[in-house]
Order: sequence, then structure tokens, then C-alpha cells
Amino acid sequence: MARKQIRVRIPKRYNMSLWSPSRRMLFIWCMLISFILLFAPQNFTSKFQLAYVRIFRWPLSIGGHFALSTQTQMPLQDVVPRREYDKLQTYRANLEETLNQQRMKFEKLYGLYNKYVWEGVNFALADVITATINGSSNELTISCRENIGLVKGQFVLGDNSIIGTISEVSSGTACVKLFTDPTSAIAVKIGKLNVDRMMRGNGDNSARVPLIEAKYKIKIGDEVFASSNKSKFLDAPVKIGEVAQLKKDEKDPLFWDITVKPACDIEKLDDVAVLVMNP
Amino acid sequence: MRWLRFAVLILTVTVLQKGLLGRLDIKPDLLVILLVFFSIYSNTSEAIISSFTLGFAADLIGSPMPMGPHMISFGLLGTALAYLHRVIAIRKMPSQALAIFITAILTSTLTHFLAYLIKGEPVSANIYGVVFGTSLYSGLVGPFLFLPLAWWMRIKISRFGQRWAHK
Repeated sequence: MARKQIRVRIPKRYNMSLWSPSRRMLFIWCMLISFILLFAPQNFTSKFQLAYVRIFRWPLSIGGHFALSTQTQMPLQDVVPRREYDKLQTYRANLEETLNQQRMKFEKLYGLYNKYVWEGVNFALADVITATINGSSNELTISCRENIGLVKGQFVLGDNSIIGTISEVSSGTACVKLFTDPTSAIAVKIGKLNVDRMMRGNGDNSARVPLIEAKYKIKIGDEVFASSNKSKFLDAPVKIGEVAQLKKDEKDPLFWDITVKPACDIEKLDDVAVLVMNP
Repeated sequence: MRWLRFAVLILTVTVLQKGLLGRLDIKPDLLVILLVFFSIYSNTSEAIISSFTLGFAADLIGSPMPMGPHMISFGLLGTALAYLHRVIAIRKMPSQALAIFITAILTSTLTHFLAYLIKGEPVSANIYGVVFGTSLYSGLVGPFLFLPLAWWMRIKISRFGQRWAHK
């Protein structure tokens, strides 16, 4: 009697081997690539991130502008918009401070040639491509309109006030670390005080200036300027924010703990200017 | 798996996440939603590849976070979810929402932990609120995106029955 051979095909999902070698090797190779990326220098890997932003600049900008337009309110007629008002106030504060600096210099160097503080400075305009403003990171990605040398550490202005510094650069595209970023540290002076202190970002659209002696007369609303002392990227103080909160330090009541809010609405910026010293 | 459609999908999602949603404080993490979708509705090998690819995409748009942590956390959790789905079927919307919520929390936690440990990236004070809010938002929105994703990838799904892959 002839035997009939029946071929039985077992579907793949009933395969008892959970870890077939090919899947294991695939997983291991992928993990290896991930660890290589993790341990690679950030200067190298950040170029990939900036290259992505450069390639997809147009759709990213459109998305950002759309998000901004849905948040912007219609202005009232015969009233200056709040943003314009703040911008002009900041410009006035910067001019006043520049004038004070000029007066101090003139007093010191009376009779000698007096150089205007902003002489030889270029303000390179740049478009904001993406803005990441959340708890863990506060950063903008910008694309410079001019072919001008950007370097790390240069100050970036938004609505005439300092918003941060250049942290990464690649072929005309740059990352701007906002001063509200937790890793940011900028030397500042508050109001009319001629004392420099380090301001560090809080991550929630504000920054903190700790350990200022309580003997100094500081009040809410006082202007905060980025200090130009010992800075090769700044010739004169420029406004960075205002004192929003003032309280005694919890550990030592002899010191103030100051919270600073930005002078402009950083989330609504779509163009900025990079301060290029002596280009 | 239609890899060309997958590539187009990833590019679109990264542009949306970085451009349109980038300016919001609390936003859904579309890449985590994609991670859970492909872990559930692909076979294991495809789930592994897609998990690591989605992690790489998250690293690309994760500036200023360094590259690497997202790829590791997405790869690990996507693979784990793919194997978990063999044991516990994640078919119904509530279970998919829960899977997205838990995966989002775990990927964010692991990412920030790796970035802090290896690269010394500081963690801001309100990180817990941001992570919880993003995970909750993703869990609420995610299951509703599964149908359009399945349509784009030509995967026939039935929330109450067996999955048939369109070949």
C-alpha cells in the first residue's frame, strides 16, 4: 500500500524559539550602534542634529510660524501692541546704560580720544527655525541670513535684549542656548549696582541670581543687564531681563535670592540678531 | 513591512514634533506613539529595527540632548514591548493607552538618566511634571492615531480580533 506524504507547515508564530540568532544579532548590532553614538563626542553628533535642521528648514519654519500664529492675539486699534512696547522699553534701557558707560569712560579718559562702545560691532540677523522651550531644555535653532563667522559664546539678541549664547555652530546654522536653560551661566549686574553676579537658568522661562547681599537696595522690576566686564563678546551692558521675584535666601537670610524673567517673549520670536564683535 | 512608507512616516512625524509641536510646553510624543504601534503590529524583527530607527529619529530632533540615549531607550523598550505583546495581547484602546503612557514614562526616564550619567546633562527641577504631562497626553491621543497609521502602513487591524497583515 503506497504511503501518502502529508506536508505540515507550522506558522511562524508557533515557533517555540523566542530568541532566534538573527533577532539576537540584530538587537546586539543596534545596541552597539546606539552606544557608539552615545559615547561619540558631542561636537561630532551635534552636526547630525544641525544637518537635519538645515535640510528640513523650510517645513520646520512653516510649522513654527503656524504654531505662533495660533497663539498670537489680534491687536486692538489705536493701541501699541505689548510686544512693541516692551521692545521700545528695552531699547531705551540699553541706550541709557550705554550712555552711562560712555560718561564713565569720558570721565576717566578726559581729553583723550573716546571710542564709541559699539564701534566695530556687527548685528547679524538670523531666522529662528525651531524653538524648544520646555522644562529640560531651552534652546533655539537659528539660520544666519549673512555668511558671517559665528562662534560659540557669541551673544544673541531678541527684541533688543539678550536671550542667550551660541552653543553649537555648523555651516550657517547654530544652536542658541537660552539664558533660562538649566545649564546656562551668564555674568549679570542688577539695576544701578556695579556688582557682577552669575545668573543661572531655572528651566521654567526664568533664571536665578543667588547670594546677593541683602544690604543692596533691589526691588521687583529692576532691570538686569548682561555684564561686559571680562567678556570678549560684549562691549557694553545689554538688558537681559527684569527682577520678577525677590526673597530672602532660605539658608542664609542675609542674602537675596532673585528670580529674573526675560525682557522679551522668547517663545514668540521668529528672528534674532547675533552680536559679532570686530568681524 | 513597507519600509518606504515607514521612512516617509518617520520624516513627517519628526518635522511635526520639532516644528509644529516644538513650541508647546506639554505636547504628545508622536515618536513614542509610533514606537508602541510598530511594537504591537509588526513582527519581532521589524519591531526591533523600527524601535531603534525611531530612537535615532528622536535623537536627531532631541537637541540639545546628546545623541544616543533616545536610541537606547526606544530600542530596549520597543523590543521588550514586542515580546510582551506575544504574552499579553494589547488590542483594546484602554490597554493601548496604558501601554503608551507607561512606555512614554519609561523612555523619558531612561533617556534623561543615560544623558545625566554619561554626558552629565543636568536635570531641571520641573522635569517630573513635564514627563508626566507628556506621557499622559500621548496616552490619551495615541490610540486614536493607530487607525490612520494602520491605513498608511497598509496594516489591517481589528481591535477585537486577530491581526491580518496585508501582503
